[in-house]
Amino acid sequence: MPNAALENVKSATWHSKIVLANGLTVIVCEMPQYKGVHAIYGTNYGSVVRRFNLNGTDYTLPAGVAHFLEHKMFENEDGQDAFALYAKTGANANAYTSFDKTCYIFSATDNIDESLDILLSFVSKPYFTKETVEKEQGIIGQEIKMYDDSAEWRMMFAMFDCLYHTCPVKDDIAGSVESIAEITPQLLYACCDAFYCPQNMVLSVAGNITVQQVLDAVQRAEIPAKESAVKRYVEEEPAEIHKPHIELTMAVSQPIFGLGFKETPMPNDIRTEIICDMLTELLVGDTTPLYRKLYDEGLINPGFSGEYLSGEGYLNFIFAGETKDPAQVEKLLRAEITRLKTQGVDEEMFTCIKNMMLGDFVTNLESIDDVAGDLAAAHFKGRTTYDEIAALCDITVQDLNNALKTMLNPERSATVIIKPKA
Amino acid sequence: MQREQILPGVYLTSLPADKFKRSRISINFIMPGKRSTATSYALLPMVMERGYEACPDMTQLSIKLAQLYGASLGVDSGMQGPNRVLNFSMVGIKDDFAFGGEALSKEYADILFGVAFHPDVKNGAFDSEAIEIEKDKLREVLESEINEKRIYCVRQARRKFFGDDESGIERYGYLDDIDPITPQQLYQAYLNMVQTAAVEVLVMGADAQSVKTLLVQQLQKIDRCLLQPAQPHAMPVTAPQSCVEPLPTEQGKVCMLFTTAEILKNEDLSKMRMAIGVLGGTPTSRLFTNVREKQSLCYYCASSYSHINGMLSIDSGVEHKNAEKLQQAVLAELDKLKTEEITQKEIEDVKRTLYNSLDAVEDNLPSIENWYMGEIMRGSFKTPQQVKQEIAMVSEGDIRAMLDKFTLQVTYTLTNTKGGAAHA
Repeated sequence: MPNAALENVKSATWHSKIVLANGLTVIVCEMPQYKGVHAIYGTNYGSVVRRFNLNGTDYTLPAGVAHFLEHKMFENEDGQDAFALYAKTGANANAYTSFDKTCYIFSATDNIDESLDILLSFVSKPYFTKETVEKEQGIIGQEIKMYDDSAEWRMMFAMFDCLYHTCPVKDDIAGSVESIAEITPQLLYACCDAFYCPQNMVLSVAGNITVQQVLDAVQRAEIPAKESAVKRYVEEEPAEIHKPHIELTMAVSQPIFGLGFKETPMPNDIRTEIICDMLTELLVGDTTPLYRKLYDEGLINPGFSGEYLSGEGYLNFIFAGETKDPAQVEKLLRAEITRLKTQGVDEEMFTCIKNMMLGDFVTNLESIDDVAGDLAAAHFKGRTTYDEIAALCDITVQDLNNALKTMLNPERSATVIIKPKA
Repeated sequence: MQREQILPGVYLTSLPADKFKRSRISINFIMPGKRSTATSYALLPMVMERGYEACPDMTQLSIKLAQLYGASLGVDSGMQGPNRVLNFSMVGIKDDFAFGGEALSKEYADILFGVAFHPDVKNGAFDSEAIEIEKDKLREVLESEINEKRIYCVRQARRKFFGDDESGIERYGYLDDIDPITPQQLYQAYLNMVQTAAVEVLVMGADAQSVKTLLVQQLQKIDRCLLQPAQPHAMPVTAPQSCVEPLPTEQGKVCMLFTTAEILKNEDLSKMRMAIGVLGGTPTSRLFTNVREKQSLCYYCASSYSHINGMLSIDSGVEHKNAEKLQQAVLAELDKLKTEEITQKEIEDVKRTLYNSLDAVEDNLPSIENWYMGEIMRGSFKTPQQVKQEIAMVSEGDIRAMLDKFTLQVTYTLTNTKGGAAHA
């Protein structure tokens, strides 16, 4: 591959990475041609961490604690929340919790130092009381109910329920109204002690800022090292699926069908993730004959797609979308998987999908939000964004054909149908 | 921003985008919306996006775009106030990042102009098979709107708000109008668009001169007779309507729509931005701090203002039993802002938030396009920096004057069938 383009990518992904004495990793991508700065202060702790040992004591968490903690972090001891502090700088702040991480973010074009001070301060100084925890249960309860009305969300978790016996990925990231009722301030403090320690966190910043500015902010924050001894427990999960099929009803216009596959977990394996991503495109992407057939026969709409999810204790595929005939979509999808496994991947289609993914990587290099986000995510997986592009360049058709020998096994598959409520 | 008139009713605007890794070209056709052609103009982009004369096959076009490093072709149709806007856009990585050394920019322009000006037409008609397939897809789009409850609630409220007014013409048309559309009629709709619509072309990070040359070449072949876009207008104040629709959901939805009864002058828009910010547009706004945080009534309670329709929208997801309480809470907050003090701190907080958002416009390709297209539609042509200066001058009195303009017209509630919102 020639490589002025690769050199340009290398230059665009260049960043500084420093591990401080307290254990915190600081990543900075200086993008002086931009007006704004995007900062992420994240912890390698998401919804799937449900059992751990902290300094000799075992903890078992109800579903939804990581997300609940994310909400509560915004409250300070003096009663003023972090949003009120950000209002003084004008920064646009938010936070999110996923299966494997929790991130606090802001974007700003002015008062950057002050906004960094706020970010590093409120996430480092948790404060919870029984009253504030109870108040949050109402707000999060509404968030949970909002997602309960989302067919896409329900599809995902019903599929995980089919695929997994014990893996916590099967529980909603926000938990349930019942599970969050069990949360106490003590539990939240224990999670902070275990996972909000500098060595488990990253500060990733991209935009119109210098490395020195970020390091100065970290110094001002005086984040102490924490000597907690933490052990995470990963639940034993059988290779077999939990249930072959689930059916639900919801207020939707036509059925929504999903076919899922349980795979052997390969956490943080860059090549596996790229191969999985390519396989979803090679099976149901809009360049494929299967997509065209399903589309022209009125069996799917452009929303039908394939996705994979990989993390500690789980790796899976879900192919899902609206259809008036779930049985026919299932039949054709399974037949195409068999064909691909038997005949192998077409070289031309492989190049086409590889190009598309290279373009996606380059696209993500142009926004400060994506750059900071991707750097943080890559760090938690023990790599850099450039490693990801380089790995994609190295993937071959043979790699995919080898993977197909074991992946997408019909014996480890399940289906979910959401039917319209009468 | 460099803007020039190419032909009567045809403008090209070039926007700086050197720092981005992608380039983007966008062609907008703007014409007065009509109820009778709404469905044709909803269907047209779906058919045109499938292919064009030089590449008529949908899958081959997808492959071509994937080979061009996942370049994205978009053909969309929407309503901007009383006008129908069809947008043809192409975005892809710049030549510097072509791993195979390809001349990508030229390919992008060829595809975009091919799709917009050389559709796959034979004997004065689009392909009938493609039309039948896309009619089915359009039917699904219209039937599936209940899937997204929040959007559905807002759309239902808008239907009550606009009634038969042109500004309420449905973006995706009407179910009953799908079947009668013929391949010939659809082509006539296309011809009508290229012959009569005002054209706004936006170029970001691509060679504007080449785009201009291509544009002139294409338009000179067309016998154009410009039809001026319709003037935006606000809905008059009428008796408020309160509607409750039963739908089996976990969470209820409420949408409240207000009218200003007149379209704001462009110079008042910055005052309105401040008013919306104080009311519900920021995490320090009254709706967020009082309705969400203090009363724990909801996860979101968002407000937005449509200048082109003179309409304020407030919508929220709420427990079914609390729908009425939420409506009262929203009205109470609006009333307090109109009658009681708005603190200097609140005003300064919102100003800082808006400054930040305005400065950030130039850091993102889609936001640059949205900003300048909005300005073009308003005939305002202000930069984010000019608007920042206006915002700095906004006072408490200005904010109150803006909020005083709103009159509640529609309250729409989605509730479960077991009861819930009890108002008429």
